[in-house]
Amino acid sequence: MRSDKFTLSRRATLGLAAGAALAAPLPLRAQTYPDRPVTILVPFATGGYNDRYARAFAPFLAKQLGQPVTVINRPGGGTVLGNTFYLQQPDDGYMIMMHSAAPYIPLSILLRNAPYKAEDFWMINLPSRDATLCATATTKPTASIDAAVAALKANPAALTVGVQPASADLVNLALLVQAHGIDRSRMRIVTYDGGGPARTATMGGHVDIGLVGAEGFLPIKERIRPLLMFDEEKFEGFEETKLITDHAKQHGFEPEFVAGSQRGFVVLRRFVEKMPERYRILEAAIERATKDPDCVATLKGQQLATTWYGPEASNRAYLATHRTMAKYADLLKAS
Amino acid sequence: MIDLPAAGSALSLLSSSLDAWIWVVPGLLIGLVFGAIPGVSVSMAMALVLPATLYMDFLPAIIFLTSVYTGAGFGGSVPAVLMGIPGTSSAVATTFDGYPMARQGRHNEALGAALFASCIGVLLSYMVLFVLVQPLAEMVLKMGPFEMVAVGIWGMVLLGSLGGTSVSRGLFAAGLGVLFGTVGMNTAGYMRGTLGIPWLLDGIPTIPAMVGLLAASQLFALVNTRFLVEAEEDRRISLARILDGGRLVLRHPGTMLRGALIGALIGATPGVGSSISNLLSYAETKRTAPDGHTFGQGNPKGVIASESANSSSEGGAMATMLALGIPGGGATAILLAAFAMHNVVGGPRFIDQNRDIVYAIILSNFAQALLLTVIGTGFVFVASAIVRVQLRILIPCVLVVATMGAFAIEGSSAGPITLLAFAVLGWQLSRYGYPVAAVVVGLLLGRLIETELLRAYQIAGGNALEILNHPVALTIFALMLASLAVSVWNERRGRRAADAITE
Repeated sequence: MRSDKFTLSRRATLGLAAGAALAAPLPLRAQTYPDRPVTILVPFATGGYNDRYARAFAPFLAKQLGQPVTVINRPGGGTVLGNTFYLQQPDDGYMIMMHSAAPYIPLSILLRNAPYKAEDFWMINLPSRDATLCATATTKPTASIDAAVAALKANPAALTVGVQPASADLVNLALLVQAHGIDRSRMRIVTYDGGGPARTATMGGHVDIGLVGAEGFLPIKERIRPLLMFDEEKFEGFEETKLITDHAKQHGFEPEFVAGSQRGFVVLRRFVEKMPERYRILEAAIERATKDPDCVATLKGQQLATTWYGPEASNRAYLATHRTMAKYADLLKAS
Repeated sequence: MIDLPAAGSALSLLSSSLDAWIWVVPGLLIGLVFGAIPGVSVSMAMALVLPATLYMDFLPAIIFLTSVYTGAGFGGSVPAVLMGIPGTSSAVATTFDGYPMARQGRHNEALGAALFASCIGVLLSYMVLFVLVQPLAEMVLKMGPFEMVAVGIWGMVLLGSLGGTSVSRGLFAAGLGVLFGTVGMNTAGYMRGTLGIPWLLDGIPTIPAMVGLLAASQLFALVNTRFLVEAEEDRRISLARILDGGRLVLRHPGTMLRGALIGALIGATPGVGSSISNLLSYAETKRTAPDGHTFGQGNPKGVIASESANSSSEGGAMATMLALGIPGGGATAILLAAFAMHNVVGGPRFIDQNRDIVYAIILSNFAQALLLTVIGTGFVFVASAIVRVQLRILIPCVLVVATMGAFAIEGSSAGPITLLAFAVLGWQLSRYGYPVAAVVVGLLLGRLIETELLRAYQIAGGNALEILNHPVALTIFALMLASLAVSVWNERRGRRAADAITE
């Protein structure tokens, strides 16, 4: 009897405590965020870079947040479907996106009339940066970018060029030929719907040269001859490849190019403004997880990037890509 | 070309590790079940188990995934035979003869033939892989847009008259399929026929559309039927008759070998795969068979041709993936992701430095093919029980499962809506005597032909003579014309002989 009474009173105490916690003023309750599992939304199919990144990163983020982290995929429509889905979610900080934010968000706005603005999204950190690589198959005679440019200058139809339509690569190609005064409308541009097919076509020599993201070329490095890297600093794995900045200096034009995929964690600006407390917790957790030595080791092992650039630099890079893309939107549409 | 020391160490790798074995049977079972659900494709079954492999060692993870691959490759043919609804897009041609066989009460034989053709197909294609990884990969890498157009048109020509009695209706249905295939963004970035619906940006979801078309046309034809198999004594499930079906495969080694060859080659070619190879193999077998006119009425050779090709595509796709590091399709893309998750970069370097692991994967697949004969027989035995279920219960169940599959593969209501829309279309088409299968073929091959034709045009820069620089494509076209001429000639002679007899 007595012990029964005792249990009862302990339960009552617990109940009181719980009630007190619930009745606590809002700012105090906000600190209990997150109190349920957090989801990472990947707007691409299982197995791609973003998906692998989200899955590898999830356990380390879970450690920081003290809540399980799950990954869901919502691919399709060049990320339009995933982005639209994300915009329909409540601003409670329980869903974050792992995204190739640039160039996918700008491209979906410029070319697919997506119903959102580039500024609707807020970059927490974009650690992974890809760059366009211009390459040819080792079986092809083109020895250097200068040889390719010379051939195209003499006859714009001299070489076939493989590229994805509506991509950073196409903008870079357009800017390059424009700088050299090559008539793009007379060129033989062959379009591929995906980086994989474009790389296969380059490697197999179906096209004379191809412009695709450099990262995907790394596993098949032996079978291609890299000609030009659209980046201002050396790209890991293709350190020997000529940079667009050097090429431009040599030919006396102002180098202009857009970065390839910039991938990382994205939330909505709306959420950042409405829930600054929660956003701060989330940002800090992602920063700590990104710098966690175990996380760095695991991600490095899977060839995934782990640099912490922070929201300021990441948003700047993302919006800069958007501006360049918007400036050359007509170049993209004309393909 | 076989590196014997590496093969030896692969054997010891496999025999010393229990981990490499315990995942084979679960993998095959998962593949069989998911493959058998209409709408869930091979690559989706693999994508579902991919996150789990993160917690395994590298070799067991890859073996587990290839087991799912092998299992799902056959699983799709179970509903194809029993219900006329392909479980995966790789089993479309299996429905053409498998389902008529089931309706005639020969479902045991049909499933047995499908199972053994699948197992032997997997075995043969991995043998090719074992001996010829590098040359095979180099060969398919040469398949550019011109060559692919030639292959696609060949398939279209062969399949044009599929299942129909009227040529004009067949052409109309195929044209309709091709048109549906053009919805969405084309390879040059132009948007067509999306009606402002974001779910159509990537085109009409192929698998729900295909399931809808075929399911509706088959299920509505069953109205007023009480059981799939009319005769009660045929409804029995008999191990002996399943094995008889397996023996049928051995009696048609030519069909089997041709299917395996087409499957391995088409499977290895990036961008196409088992969903095209089964159609091509079926069409080729039908064209060359002396009893070609009985195809579509329950000829087991049709089942063997389709199943040998779709299962041997696995080995072909693995060759491209291992030797070149490029995924030919969804399934190998998942495998490459699993490689990456284990800090392994697939590609030429991997195959050079880890020959023992590559051989271990291949040897494990030999074992998987053999195990599949046993597990598959058990699965077929259980699954055939549906012929004893009354149709008024079975049909709603199948529709529910198909709707769920359509939802699962799209992740949104776009899947079930597509399924429903195409089910209505399929019902109307079959009601007025249009061959629904031709729409499906148009949908599958039309997109391939359009994409590659556009690239060929871009490469040629509008100059038609460019094709002279592509001797392989010219050879395929020449072979196609020659074989068509021979068929027409034979048919005319046959008709004249028949006329002579009646006179």
